[in-house]
Order: sequence, then C-alpha cells, then structure tokens
Amino acid sequence: MVEPQALMIVGAVLFGLGVLGFLTRRNLIILFLSTEVMFQGVLVNFVAMGLARGGSLEGQIFSLFVLVIAAVEAGLGLAIVVMMYRRRGTLDAEAWRSMRG
Amino acid sequence: MEPTLIYGAYVAAGLVALAAWWALPKGDRPGRPGVVVVFTALALGGLVLLLGRVLGEHGGRWYFTVLSLLAVLAGLRVVTHPRPVYSALYFLLVVLSTAALVLMAGAEFLAAALVIVYAGAILVTYVFVIMMAQQSAAAEGDSRFGAAFDYDRSAREPAAAVLAGFVLVATVAGVILIRESAPRAAATAAVAEAAPQGNTMALARALFTEQGFPVSLQVAGVLLMVAMVGAIVLAQKRLPRADADRPSPPPGEVGRHAPPY
Repeated sequence: MVEPQALMIVGAVLFGLGVLGFLTRRNLIILFLSTEVMFQGVLVNFVAMGLARGGSLEGQIFSLFVLVIAAVEAGLGLAIVVMMYRRRGTLDAEAWRSMRG
Repeated sequence: MEPTLIYGAYVAAGLVALAAWWALPKGDRPGRPGVVVVFTALALGGLVLLLGRVLGEHGGRWYFTVLSLLAVLAGLRVVTHPRPVYSALYFLLVVLSTAALVLMAGAEFLAAALVIVYAGAILVTYVFVIMMAQQSAAAEGDSRFGAAFDYDRSAREPAAAVLAGFVLVATVAGVILIRESAPRAAATAAVAEAAPQGNTMALARALFTEQGFPVSLQVAGVLLMVAMVGAIVLAQKRLPRADADRPSPPPGEVGRHAPPY
C-alpha cells in the first residue's frame, strides 16, 4: 500500500514547513498554526514508523496522544494569545520584545 | 470497462464543463469566482478519483502522490499566506490530506479522530480567536476576511529561516533513506492479520485491556480537563460589579468597557 519511507519524508517536509513558518512570521496566530503544521508532520511520521515496524499499532497510539496534546496546546495557547492581545492591542510578536538582548 | 467507471467519467466531464462555462466571461457580469473554484475543485477531484480507478493496482501510488503533494502545497500556503483566515483554511486542507494519508496507511480510527478533533474542534477555535482578535483594518483594502497586517507584510530573516528549515528536512530525509525498513509485504500482511475485526477493535484492545496502556487514557482525560480549566481562568475578564449608582449595561455591552485584565 503505502511505503513507510515515502510517508516519513512527507512528514519531515511538513515539519520543516512548520519550522519555516514559525521562524518567519510575526503574527501570533500564524505562529501557533505553524506549530500545528509541525504536529501534523510528527503525527504522519509516527504512523509511518508503526508501519515500518511490521504493522505495529504503537505508532497509531502515539499519534492519538499527540492529537490529545495538540488539542490541549491549541486551547491553552490561544487563551494566552487572547490575553496577550488584550494587553497590547496587537497580535504582533514584536510587541513583546522587552527582554530582548 | 465497468459501467460505474463510464458513468463516473460522464459525471467528471459534466463537472469540468460546468466549471468551464462558469469561468467564461459573459458580457458585463464577470462570473462569480467562488462558484468557479468550487466547481473546478469538484471536477478535479472527480478526475483524480477516476484516474485512480483506471490505474487499478497502481492507483495506490497515484493517490499517495496526489495527497502528499496536496498536503505539502497546502502547508506551504499556511505558512506563507498574509491573511490569518486563509492560513486557517489551508490548514484545514493539510489536516484532510493528512487524514487521508494515514487512512491509506491503515489507521482508520486515527483518520476519523483527526477530522473530528482537528478539523472540527481545533480549527473552529482558531477561527473564533482570529475573529475576536481582529484589529480595525480600515487602511488595507477590504477587511472582510481579515486583512494582512502591516507588521506581517514581509517575512523576517527569510534566507536564514529557509536555510534552517531545509537543512533540517534534508538531514531527516537523509537519515530516513539510509536506514532500511522492514519488508513492505510483511508489513501490510501483518496489518491485515493483526486486526481481523478492524483497526478500531485492535486499537481498543491495545488501549483498554491489561496488555495495553489502560491508564494512559485516564491521564489524557485529566490533562484535557486541567487544560480546559486553565484556558477558562487565563482568558477571563474582570467585569465591574453592578451596584445602585452604576447599573449593569445591557447584554452585548457588558464586556466592551471593561479593563483588559
């Protein structure tokens, strides 16, 4: 069906795109969306690794827990983003640079 | 050829024809782009499905190529689109392609859980937060779907970020290709015989019985509850109490004049 190596490369590319978006953008919400894209890459990778180990289900179980953690992080992260927006009135990540060297 | 394939070809051709008819300019009315996009997407989807059926046993590789290209291009658009709402919509496309990819790899429950949780809950949360955190964007064109913000107009350090991201991807891809994996015929056979009653039953056996990890789901539930309480506590506003000389404002105005925190 699906070759595990090809699926792992797709997961790696998705992760790399998430890293790219996280390093490049300034909008707080797009920063969080980039971390969600990273989660997608990791999730696909875990399923591919489970497939490469002879159809083991542990990859899918790990992916399920990655899904739970992603939901938790999305909820809490967006609550913090809303709070940060109320403080400074902007979604710019550069508004919080007072500790920058 | 089977009759269903022929009828599928007719339907796909009809959809392509409709899309083309809508796209052609007709006098003064320029043609509504949203309907064109929907019909073109339906037509392309029908053609992809048709080609997958035609290819027979090689249809698996065709579907995998299309889905992974879709996931990667949509992911690229997520991180490069200037407007946050469009990023969220392209992320929806990433989630759907990823769900289809893991479905092809045999993880049926995970695919359904991805669509329900990610596309159904997390994305809706993101869209709500984008709606609530809208700044007045009167200066930049039409602000119907969330304008591109001024500070986000140009990417910061694009060369360094692209270098870092793709050195990472190249390293990981190199490691993946160097290592040898288990033979694939054995993998699909093991998947088929390890789950005689289906993927969901096998997952349930692994998670809920003593041979699996029964406590982990309870811990996950507690974690979700703690996160919910935390999110409510973090994002609440202190509203002024109503007393005799300052009655509470009408509904819709209550939170508007409260101080931020």
